[in-house]
Amino acid sequence: MQQQVAEFTRAAVIVEGVVKTYPVPFLRLKKFFRRNSKPPVEALRGVSLTVKRGEIFGLIGRNGAGKTTLTKIIATLVQPTAGTVTVNGFDSVRDDEQVRSNVGLAGAEERSFYWRLTGEQNLIFFARLYGMKDREAKRRIAELFDRFELGEASRRRFGELSTGNKQRLAVARALLPKPPVLLLDEPTRSLDPLAASRMRELIAALAQQDPPVTILFTSHNLGEVETLCNRVAIISKGVIKAIDSPKSLRSLTTDLERIHLTLRDVEALQAQDALSFAKESLNVTNGERGLVVSFSRRRDDKLLDRAVRSLQQVGATVIAIESEQPTLLDVLERYEAEDSSS
Amino acid sequence: MNSLRLLPRRVFAFIARDFHLFVSYRMQFFLRILSVLGIVTTLFFISKIFVGFTDARFSQWRDPLAAWLTGLAVLNYFMTGFSSLATAVRQEQMQGTLESVLLTPINLPTVIVASSAWDFVQATFFSSLYLFFGWVFFNVNYSGSYSLALLFLLLTTLVLACLGILSASFAMVFKRGDPFSMFLGTGSALFSGVFFPTQLLREHAPSVSGISWLLPPTYGLDGIRRVLIENQGLSQVTDPLVTLLLMLTILLPFSLWVFGRAVRRAKREGSLIQY
Repeated sequence: MQQQVAEFTRAAVIVEGVVKTYPVPFLRLKKFFRRNSKPPVEALRGVSLTVKRGEIFGLIGRNGAGKTTLTKIIATLVQPTAGTVTVNGFDSVRDDEQVRSNVGLAGAEERSFYWRLTGEQNLIFFARLYGMKDREAKRRIAELFDRFELGEASRRRFGELSTGNKQRLAVARALLPKPPVLLLDEPTRSLDPLAASRMRELIAALAQQDPPVTILFTSHNLGEVETLCNRVAIISKGVIKAIDSPKSLRSLTTDLERIHLTLRDVEALQAQDALSFAKESLNVTNGERGLVVSFSRRRDDKLLDRAVRSLQQVGATVIAIESEQPTLLDVLERYEAEDSSS
Repeated sequence: MNSLRLLPRRVFAFIARDFHLFVSYRMQFFLRILSVLGIVTTLFFISKIFVGFTDARFSQWRDPLAAWLTGLAVLNYFMTGFSSLATAVRQEQMQGTLESVLLTPINLPTVIVASSAWDFVQATFFSSLYLFFGWVFFNVNYSGSYSLALLFLLLTTLVLACLGILSASFAMVFKRGDPFSMFLGTGSALFSGVFFPTQLLREHAPSVSGISWLLPPTYGLDGIRRVLIENQGLSQVTDPLVTLLLMLTILLPFSLWVFGRAVRRAKREGSLIQY
C-alpha cells in the first residue's frame, strides 16, 4: 500500500487499462435499416503506463498505432471507452478542467491556429483563455518567442509562416501557461536539422528545470527518442508491447550486434571463404579504406575472435573493427513482425 | 467560481480575436453598411405606396417603415442569438481550432457565451444602424419605454440562443444539415410578422398560421412593437412576456444539457475537428 502511494505521488501521468474504440456513427439506425457497417475501430486496447514527474517519456510506433489517440485522451480531447487517465491526481473525464490546467499539448496539426492572425495575436488569444493577464501574457510570449527564435513570427500572419515556425509556435503555445505536463506529438517533424537539434535541447532543458516539466513525447525519429527519453513505450496496433529505457529495450529485445571489419591485403572471395562459418549474415562490400566484411554475432560469443584469426590466416590485415548496436528501429521492427505473423 | 471570475477576460479574448479576424476583411464591413442603407431606402419607397392606409386591426403597421425597420433590426438580433454559436462551432471545426480552444481550461458555458460575444457586438451595431438610418434619413421616430423594449429583446434573444445551443449541438455531432436553422431561419421571416402582420396569416392561410405561435420571435416582435410603436406599458404586454419567460425556463437547462452531451459524444467519437 505504501509503495502504491509513493508511486502515485511520483507519477505525473497514470494511464490504467485504457481502451478506445471509435464507435460506428448511427450504428443502431444502420442496424434498424439492415445496412452493412464497418466494424468499430479499436485504437487502444488496454493501455497502461505511468510517466514519472520530470521524466521524458517516449511513445513510438507506426502510423495508426494509437500514439495520437493516447495523447489526445491524456489531454481530455478524446474520451476513453474504458479505463482511466490521471494527470497529477486529476481524472481526465471527471476533472477535465483541472487536467487541462496541468497539460500543454503541441500536436502535429497545422490547422490548430487562426491563419489570418499574427503569431502574437494567436498566442495572446490562447493566453487569455488560460486566464493570463495581458501584461503577464505579453511578457511570457516575448520570452517564448525569444526562446524559440520566433521573432519573425510575432508580426506575421500564421498562414505566412514557414512550416518549421508553425511547428515551433505550436510548442510555444503549449508552454504558455507553464504546464507541469507537456505532450509533444512529433515536435521536430517539420524542422530542419539545426532547428530540430535546438528543439531537442529545449525539450531536454524543460525536464531539467526546477520544477521539472514532465514530457510525453511521440516521434518517428527514433534517434531523437533514444537521445532524449528516459523511458520509451513501444505501441503497436493499440497495445503497449514494451516499456523500458532505450538501452534496456535494445538489449532486452536482442543480444545481437553487427560487426564491421575493414581489411587490407585480401580479395573479396578469399574473405568470403574464410568466413564461411558466418555466411548467413555475411555481407562483403568495398569501403573507402579497404574491404568491409559485416556479420552478426551474439554478444560475448567467440565468433569475432574466430573471424579475425581466419582472416589473418589467409593473409588479411584487420585495420578497423566497428560494432553496431541494435537500434529502437530494430526493436520496433521486431514487434511489428511479431504482430504481422500472429 | 474561478471560471466565473475569468469569464470577462475570456469573453474579451474571443471578442478581440474576432475583431482582429473581422478587420482582416475590411471591405466586407463597408459593403454591409451600404447594404443596410440600401434596404432602408428601398423600404422607405415601398412604404410610400401605403400612405394614408388606416386599418384598425393593424395598429402596429400605421407607419409600415417603422414596423419593417423594427422587424428587420430585431430579426437580425434574434438570428444572431440563434445562429452565432452554431456558426462559431462550425467555423472552429472547419478551421481545426476547436480542439485548441477546448484544450484550454475553459468550461462549456464560457465557450457558449464567449463564442457568440463578437456576433452580438456586430448585431447590436447593424441592428442599431437600421433604426439610425430610419431616424436620420427618413424621420422614423419611436416612443414608449426603451427599457421594456430592451427586456423583450434580451428575453427573446436568450430563448433563441437556447435554440442556437441546440443547433450548435447538432453541428457538433452531425456536422451539417441542421433542421433548427431551416425552421427558424426561413420560418421567422415568414411567420413571425417581420414583413406583415401575423393576423393576415390567420385570415388567408389559417392552416399554417399556428406556426407563428411556435416561434419565439413572434412574441418578441409583438412585444417590442407594442411598446415602441403603440406606446403600451408593462401591464399590457404581460402575455408575450410570460410566454417568453416560460420558453426560457424550459429551453435553457435542456439546451445546456444537450450541448454537454454533444461535446461528450464528439470527444467519444474523436470528431471534434471533423466537419
